[in-house]
Amino acid sequence: MGKVSLLIDTSKCTGCRGCQVACKEWNDLAATDTTNWGSYENPPDLSASTWTRIAFHEVEGDSGVKWLFLKQGCMQCTQAVCVEVCPTQALQHHDMGFISLDQERCNGCGYCAEFCPFQIPRLEANAFTGQGKITKCTLCQDRVTNDMSPACAKTCPANAIYFGDRQEMLATAKQRVDELKAGGHSNASVYGETELGGLGRMYVLLERPAQYGLPENPSPALAGFWQKGIQPFGYAAVGLTLLGLGFNWLAQRRNSALSVKAQEEA
Amino acid sequence: MQSRYVRRFSASERLAHWLHFLAFTVLLGTGGFLYMPALQPFTVGAAGEAARLAHRVAAVVFIVTPLLYLMGDSRGFLGSLRESFSWGADDLRWLRLAWRYYTQGANAEGVPPQGKYNAGQKLNALTQIIAFILFTITGLIMWFGHGAVAPAVFRWSVIIHDLSVTAVLALFLVHLYQVSIHPFTRESIMAMFEGVVTREYAEEHHGKWYEEVKASGEVG
Repeated sequence: MGKVSLLIDTSKCTGCRGCQVACKEWNDLAATDTTNWGSYENPPDLSASTWTRIAFHEVEGDSGVKWLFLKQGCMQCTQAVCVEVCPTQALQHHDMGFISLDQERCNGCGYCAEFCPFQIPRLEANAFTGQGKITKCTLCQDRVTNDMSPACAKTCPANAIYFGDRQEMLATAKQRVDELKAGGHSNASVYGETELGGLGRMYVLLERPAQYGLPENPSPALAGFWQKGIQPFGYAAVGLTLLGLGFNWLAQRRNSALSVKAQEEA
Repeated sequence: MQSRYVRRFSASERLAHWLHFLAFTVLLGTGGFLYMPALQPFTVGAAGEAARLAHRVAAVVFIVTPLLYLMGDSRGFLGSLRESFSWGADDLRWLRLAWRYYTQGANAEGVPPQGKYNAGQKLNALTQIIAFILFTITGLIMWFGHGAVAPAVFRWSVIIHDLSVTAVLALFLVHLYQVSIHPFTRESIMAMFEGVVTREYAEEHHGKWYEEVKASGEVG
């Protein structure tokens, strides 16, 4: 199978959060106690037990306040910073185009959480020992590798979540954006076609990405700094040091031999 | 009768030195996995969790050691600190002639007499002090700052931490070579085991210091 993708049409999303529930059911994640914290959105953030959620962005327009719903979760980047910084290869590129997670390999370092341009992976670790495992949406890797669609896409009653071949998803997204533009939504756009090499989670957005809290130009900040920067620099520095010490040893031995010889001749 | 030896390091100084050595090597080993792809199996899963825990335990020893040194021998601590920060013309001249010192010996032409620490040792000490501060700050950010500091702060902490290792590792190799392999200087390792060096070594390698010690009457 080629590359797959989720496509989330925010213009169709009703914010029902059925996807949040389906995700928890399939992935066996505990429910979270929530409180009214001044917004209809809940839980207030992604967490170790909430891998996807609908963010409610309240935007003021000409006709009063309106909601923009964004289903958050792993963006399945082609240039995935998390994969590059993961020292254990717990996070890997899957041939189908998503980022797989093997928790058995994860040692809880949390670098992926800190380097992700979208702040998606979550680590709940003991503050002193640092023991814990990273969690994130894996596009339901156990379902999609068995010819099933992700739980969120399967359950969405508004048919706002599509899943399938990435090229098909992209064509669907572009067609929908054209429709929306024709209908007067001049800011409508596809998000994820080229961002970070192309995402395995694309959106049809009604407004500018920033209004959904999405970075306009996500960059793989400092990605590959180990492999391309620190490791070669470290090897070079240590190598040159050892070389210098080797030369020093040879030079002092030669000088010592010379001075012994000079003493013998004197 | 004149003693053959000159006292160089107090018991507290030696204890602090070896605690630092122990903590540093554990930190280097458990952190070094990240650098060396061949060692990366040690970062995976439970082994990685154990390595990260050992890194934290060693970090506590690493951070506390200078405090133990200060409490155990404040005169030695402050004296060494002062000495590391005082630089004169002879130090710069020594640095220019360092290769000559390490290939022809302390008596080579033009190599100026040195204090308790030669200019190379002072440079090492200054680098270690700066690296210690950087390690501690960036390490604590990575330990306790997860989710509390801006991602950029965390990211740069990782990078500064890793670059500091490179500087300190290079110096560590030079240090090991000097005290265990180099025929001119290796006998000085005695100072870290017995606390003393021979009178001859002190006079040859740390002439100014030897004169001071003699003038103070600590040796006959």
